[in-house]
Amino acid sequence: MSSETTTGSGTTASVNSTADAVERLHIAGLHAPTDAVLSVRDLNVRFNSENGVVHAVRGVDFDLLPGKTLGIVGESGSGKSVTSLAIMGLLPETAEVTGSVRLKGRELLGLSDKAMCEYRGNELAMVFQDPLSSLTPVYTVGTQIIEALTIHNPTMSKQAKEARAVELLAMVGIPSPKDRLKAFPHEFSGGMRQRVMIAIAIANNPRVLIADEPTTALDVTIQAQVLEVLHTAQEETGAAVVMITHDLGVVAGMADDIMVMYAGKPVETGAVDDIYYNPRMPYTLGLLGAVPRVDVSEKSSLVPIDGIPPNLLHTPTGCSFAPRCPLATEACLEGEPALAPVPGVALHHAACIKSEALGGDVDVHDIFSAPPVPESRFDAIPRENRSTVLELKDVRKHFPLTKGALLKKRIGTVKAVDGLSFDVREGECFSIVGESGSGKTTTLLEIMEFHKDQDGEVVIGGISNKQAADTKTKNAMRRELQMVFQDPTGALDPRFTVYEVLAEPLQNAGLDRQAIRKRIMELMKLVGLQPDHVNRFPNQFSGGQRQRIGIARALAVNPKLVVLDEPVSALDVSVQAGVINLLDKLRAELGLSYLLVAHDLSVVRHISNRVAVMYLGKIVEIGEVDRVFDNPRHPYTRALLSAIPVPDPHVERTRERIILKGDLPSPLDAPKGCNFATRCPVFAALPAAKQEKCLTLEPPLEAVAPSSAAQALEPAAPSPDQRFACFFPDGELDEDMLVSHDQAEHHAP
Amino acid sequence: MTNLNAVDPAAVAQDAHLESADVVIGKSTIIFRRFMRNKTAVAGLVIFVALTVFSFVGGFFTTWDKETIDPFNIGMPPSAEHFLGTSQAGIDLYAMTVEGTRISILIGLIVGLVSVLIAAVYGCTMAYFGGKVDKVMLFILEALIMMPALLVVAVATSGGGAGLKRDLPSWLLLIIVLLVFSWMGTARLIRSLSMSLMQRDFVKAAQYMGVPPRRIVWRHLVPNIGSLLVLDITRGVTGAILAEVAFSFIGIGIKVPDVSLGVLIGGATSQVQTFPWMFWVPLTVMFLLTGSLAMMNDGLRDAFDPSSSSTGKARKARKIRAEMSK
Repeated sequence: MSSETTTGSGTTASVNSTADAVERLHIAGLHAPTDAVLSVRDLNVRFNSENGVVHAVRGVDFDLLPGKTLGIVGESGSGKSVTSLAIMGLLPETAEVTGSVRLKGRELLGLSDKAMCEYRGNELAMVFQDPLSSLTPVYTVGTQIIEALTIHNPTMSKQAKEARAVELLAMVGIPSPKDRLKAFPHEFSGGMRQRVMIAIAIANNPRVLIADEPTTALDVTIQAQVLEVLHTAQEETGAAVVMITHDLGVVAGMADDIMVMYAGKPVETGAVDDIYYNPRMPYTLGLLGAVPRVDVSEKSSLVPIDGIPPNLLHTPTGCSFAPRCPLATEACLEGEPALAPVPGVALHHAACIKSEALGGDVDVHDIFSAPPVPESRFDAIPRENRSTVLELKDVRKHFPLTKGALLKKRIGTVKAVDGLSFDVREGECFSIVGESGSGKTTTLLEIMEFHKDQDGEVVIGGISNKQAADTKTKNAMRRELQMVFQDPTGALDPRFTVYEVLAEPLQNAGLDRQAIRKRIMELMKLVGLQPDHVNRFPNQFSGGQRQRIGIARALAVNPKLVVLDEPVSALDVSVQAGVINLLDKLRAELGLSYLLVAHDLSVVRHISNRVAVMYLGKIVEIGEVDRVFDNPRHPYTRALLSAIPVPDPHVERTRERIILKGDLPSPLDAPKGCNFATRCPVFAALPAAKQEKCLTLEPPLEAVAPSSAAQALEPAAPSPDQRFACFFPDGELDEDMLVSHDQAEHHAP
Repeated sequence: MTNLNAVDPAAVAQDAHLESADVVIGKSTIIFRRFMRNKTAVAGLVIFVALTVFSFVGGFFTTWDKETIDPFNIGMPPSAEHFLGTSQAGIDLYAMTVEGTRISILIGLIVGLVSVLIAAVYGCTMAYFGGKVDKVMLFILEALIMMPALLVVAVATSGGGAGLKRDLPSWLLLIIVLLVFSWMGTARLIRSLSMSLMQRDFVKAAQYMGVPPRRIVWRHLVPNIGSLLVLDITRGVTGAILAEVAFSFIGIGIKVPDVSLGVLIGGATSQVQTFPWMFWVPLTVMFLLTGSLAMMNDGLRDAFDPSSSSTGKARKARKIRAEMSK
């Protein structure tokens, strides 16, 4: 690396020598004399580990112009976060950072921690991923905002600071900001806390705002709100934003430029439209093909990017993506390709020797040889004729809410699940979607619990919970039903080898040693893992492989129904595609049924046949997936669907979004009539007389009434498979809750 | 692991290269390497092993034993015939120290190991079953904590346990009494740790597979609190040695003719001025014993703690190079 020679001995070098080196770079013309507010040149970061030096970031260059947004996209471990931390000077002492980071022409690398404090929170600000842990729980949010103001404006008066804090809270959309100033972080929900974090970050009008996966930990509806807030914050302060994310949908509507990182190196950079519509690097192509689309019903397999990112302990000799690239040839292994300009397109760079042959017209499914769409033997049989594997009849789960230490007084009931009925037929995938707190997971737990004292009836494979008293029936039920967990790491005992993990359910089923071994080898092949890896421990596998082990364990006893609790939400997009394809294939080959809980509607659309939308413990809309997604009737479904970011910059910029106000209401003040009335965009626009109906009556779950015209045409036509619970499905939407991204255009070039 | 990537870049890097098969280092190798990197801990281990070996083979280097009285050398300072001198009764101090060290180490190891084992099983059982089982077991535990251990030891080893004393040597009796009163703190700690493990998905997965509770406790819970158990064993050993010394010192622990470090120290306190070697020699040995364990404890914690700041050797090489280039 050239940095070795220019900056001498790395982090240990004094400020002077780094400054010298930068001057030399400057003279050499590497620092373009632009008006960039932040310019990064040849940034390298190395860490020391048990196995040697890990070269986590290898030569990142970018210029950020004022008011612009740069999206940094890549898998986990690609060096996105490390880059941002290096810019902020927040890496641990043990990291070795070389290169140059200039904020408005002033060099930041090599500054002492104390000197960096001048910049951090002032001209450079950061929003972190996890809003739950980035606020101090023992101080009020007001104190924390004022603290940020005090540090950089020691002369500001107390009143002025308080006024500014109120102004900031109002700017990020927190209702009654003056009272909320005295609230503690635990009194806020996750989305609200992220808003407070943004308020703190923009308190001193930063020039550069770095957002590191700011919405990954949040629900889709809240994600839409927070992205909107970030957008406003950027407009108010005119700051340049670095948006780090693994979700191509999130940045599509926001970013002006995109930098795709792989193995610590930028592999493609360019304007957002060039990257999305005209990618020139196979990795970018793969990433785009791996994302399921919520707005397209076409059934095609997703593009999995096989393999794992390279080991950054060794300097790659060839293209770092070559081992996973379907287009790789001998030439790719000779030297790592540099980021070269794409001919004909200004400011579009790609690090691929084949970039000229690629482009918008190349079909990614061909390149990455996506598997064909699997066909299940049940697909041909109409739904009514298939047997039922799971049936829920009016299942309820209410938790009493008590107050008082000695004498517990019942002050209310949390209706986590409130009268749920649905069934899952053989060979189909049924999904439950909704925000967190809507009762999805409680529903799963109720099914998994399966005992007599439950309120409501659960029938699994013909066995009802009302008659399941003895262990024998229960064991029979367990063989019908297995579960795959959200977090693949947490679901596998870290001290078990894969063999032991897979053997556990089989031993429990009473198989002998020979049979167990045979079955495990079968399972490993079935989920696409190498059979000779059975003696490894889970921590020696990547996240996607761990999830495959979890799936293999669930399939061990040949269940009919597999319950999937957010099976891919903890995985990277490229890996996620592989796991979704696997689930699809298994469903077809083994005739499995899935009960899937997910918050990612694009994944749901891709793999399910039927879907139920839950809100506060009730199903508000249920039906065939394409019908519900293409023609949503309930306002909540409409809001959910409009909140999903789509990896398509044009769609993102032009479409209208429904931004729901606030969070899920607390179960205590659950409305009497329609649950959703407090946040409903239709309700807000209704005349008072009709609002009365929403507030007093609870809408029943009813089938879509065929329009009179359709009835006249075919009187005998069966009603379509879609039911919803709303009195005014065709009502006008409230203007206030609609946000169009057209306004984003005015700061674009 | 999943949401660490924003905060801990080292973990990201670790993750990235863990995925490549050729660099996977076994967990035990990593623990061993980390332990060996801590020089203090290695020194502690060496001292402890040396003392243990000494307590078993040390007797062969002298012709005297802990009971024979040398009438010609009563209360003599160290000499060629008696390496460490003799007591006021004319018994060889070296022989007594060897015997005392052995008894002390024996008590320490047995009490340390067995009490942690009891604590692990008891704590995990409480956490797994919860509810009524937890309440009853917790009550027993609290009751034991509140019992004055000192009095029970005094009664058991002196007047009250006459029948017991006839059948059992006093050191065995002390082990039993120490065991009964030493596991509760650890058990409570393990209970809370296991309760958090119970929330982990792999325990739920096992439950949903219909694995019987006993198997879940033994196969999932106990191994996962293993690193804590290892630490608690060294802590427990130190605690037991110190307790033995303290009890013997105030005269309610080991009784003559059995000797232990505590008995030796206790017996010599009144004559520090006249027979200083009788006091300082066993005290030094006791200090070496507990000190070496404390030194090891620190290294063990570093080795087992996954968030340890112990970095690889690569860093050192790099630093040296960087300094040389300055």
